[in-house]
Amino acid sequence: MISFHQVTKQYSRVRAVDELSFTVNSGEIFALLGPNGAGKTTSVRMLLQLIRPDFGEIRYGNELIHDRKLDRYRIGYLPEERGIYQDSPILKTLVYLASLRGMSTEEARSSSLKWLEQFGIADRAGDKVSTLSKGNQQKVQFIASVIHNPLFAILDEPFSGFDPINQEIISGMIRELRNNGTTILISAHQMQLVERIADRILLLADGKELMSGTMDELREQSGAGQKLEVRFSELLHPENLTENDRITTVQDDDTGAWMVMPKSGVSLNDLLQIITEAGEIESLHSSEANLHDIFIQSFGIKTEVKSEE
Amino acid sequence: MKSNIWKITWSVTVWEFNRFFKWMDLVKGALLFAGFAVVGGVIGAWASGQAIQPPKVAVADFGPFNPDRFEDSFIQFQDGTVFSPDSLESLYQEEAIDGILTISDVNEASIRVNSDRVWILQLEQILNSVRVDYKLELFDLDPVLFDELTAGMTLAKDFETGEVSTLPDKILAGVAIFLLVMAVFMGFAYQFTAITSEKQQRITEQVLSAISPQTWIDGKILGITGVGLAYVAFYSVIGLLGMVVFIYLGVPLQETIALVNPLFLITFLMLALIGTLMWNAFLAGIAATIDDPNTSTKSGFMMMPLLPVSLAFLTLANPDTVAMKILGLFPITSYAVMPARMVLTGVAWWEPVVALILIAMTAWLFRILAGRIFAAGMMMYGKEPDWKQMLRWMAKGTETGQTDSGNQPNA
Repeated sequence: MISFHQVTKQYSRVRAVDELSFTVNSGEIFALLGPNGAGKTTSVRMLLQLIRPDFGEIRYGNELIHDRKLDRYRIGYLPEERGIYQDSPILKTLVYLASLRGMSTEEARSSSLKWLEQFGIADRAGDKVSTLSKGNQQKVQFIASVIHNPLFAILDEPFSGFDPINQEIISGMIRELRNNGTTILISAHQMQLVERIADRILLLADGKELMSGTMDELREQSGAGQKLEVRFSELLHPENLTENDRITTVQDDDTGAWMVMPKSGVSLNDLLQIITEAGEIESLHSSEANLHDIFIQSFGIKTEVKSEE
Repeated sequence: MKSNIWKITWSVTVWEFNRFFKWMDLVKGALLFAGFAVVGGVIGAWASGQAIQPPKVAVADFGPFNPDRFEDSFIQFQDGTVFSPDSLESLYQEEAIDGILTISDVNEASIRVNSDRVWILQLEQILNSVRVDYKLELFDLDPVLFDELTAGMTLAKDFETGEVSTLPDKILAGVAIFLLVMAVFMGFAYQFTAITSEKQQRITEQVLSAISPQTWIDGKILGITGVGLAYVAFYSVIGLLGMVVFIYLGVPLQETIALVNPLFLITFLMLALIGTLMWNAFLAGIAATIDDPNTSTKSGFMMMPLLPVSLAFLTLANPDTVAMKILGLFPITSYAVMPARMVLTGVAWWEPVVALILIAMTAWLFRILAGRIFAAGMMMYGKEPDWKQMLRWMAKGTETGQTDSGNQPNA
């Protein structure tokens, strides 16, 4: 549906996006992940033609093209920088924003009420946005971005500002959108939620692709197929854990347990040897690495732990 | 879901208009004002009724003048010589009389009164008149001869341009300029509020992902201009209602209105409409670069529309100078200078036409330039662009790839 080809964007001295290439396929939920400053928002803004790439090209599928131009009525966008007209009634605001996406007033009105009903705030439709709680304002913004049933929706941090229950509701709605035919590009920090709903994930670092694929493919690429949770009765050589290039480790501040993940090419036997040489093991628990683990391993949290020590 | 730029521009126009034009609030405010006016009128009528009562002045001494000369005037003179000084004092203290006049001789008189009063000016005029009559009699002068001596000279004004306008035309020009300035300043205030609040509330990105900056700013310019003009129209209607009331009360305003030249009226209205659009386009571009209106140096641009108005006053001295002719055509100043020239001197038919064409072209140019600044400025948070950067945007556009006419995507 959309593909980046060697796209580069430079801001004065900072290269925000560096020869980035990726493709979002129709009907999938594609997650863009990376630490702050990785180039996610710049990529999204280029995709929306809010800014131009310096080099490379962005290709749009025929379904997003109308009269040889990008058809923005078929795109939905929830920006990371949130904001909505505070002094205007909720329903009027939604109808206006929907009209900018080409909906008629009648369509927009009935669709708005349907969405407000789904979120349980239909009785507030006539109230000013400013009277809503922050969470409910976020819901209104989410509705504004998908009210017109877009073919392609970009959701930048869709879970931020929501409590866990509402995060679940939003993730359910994102899946429902996908099931109804909307292709979704999502950028979020809630790893568990992203892992559960994303079909494919792209990890960005310094504007470049670090790795991409399904969860299984990411585990394979990162080598973080397994992770070991280790508790030491006596840690004799902590440097074996913190200064070893073959593994990634994070210590839980609360429990004192160590999460140890092998890097690519490191066998489980080698991993066990490293751990046993570090100290007396009290308990050992093995599990499959999740997105959070891969993210931590990819972006070098180990170094931060070491520096804190 | 098919739509077009015009439809979206109209959506934005209506939205911006409704955001700021609260006609119910306006009607409530007008009714409240009318209520105050009625209450104030009643109190004022009662107070002025007392104030305009003819004052009673007792003349303690007529001096050399004949008491008969003091009859038949606004001031009620009473012969105070029939009272003793004590009785006169009692009348004054009891406020049965408002003052005591004492005329010492033909050149001097004094008035005793509680404090300064407006009618003292009239008293001075009466005394002067009585004194002139006394002197005429004294010198045995013919009053007709005196009138002949003191009569002024009549100067006939023969203008090359003929009588270009009536007094109502001149009043109309003044009212048109005033209303235009009012519309522009109201538009300024709302434009600032609209754009800076959208930046501060982080609304811009969501809207700009749907429509182009040019479409957005076009709708804003039209909507906010509509707000300014709607307020002016509202107050104009209130003014017309006031005129209807005056006509009903017998004031012959309809005869005055009939003297207004309809061509002047149409020209003034068109200059006002296009001038307001031009200034709103200008300000929309400036407002998009302001991060915090409380501290921005660019807020000073709000005073710019006053410049043409102050230049319009110069036409009173001489509307036919080369400078005034140029300023009457120059689009930044024409909306105020041209109406002033039209009512003060003869203006060739083509001058208002050229002024209208030039101001329309400038409004269009401002719209394009403002769109370019707006496109970049609205996405800029935390700092304001410098003049160099703004000039670069105006000259080359911004780096945004989004236009409703479409940047050709790589399909």
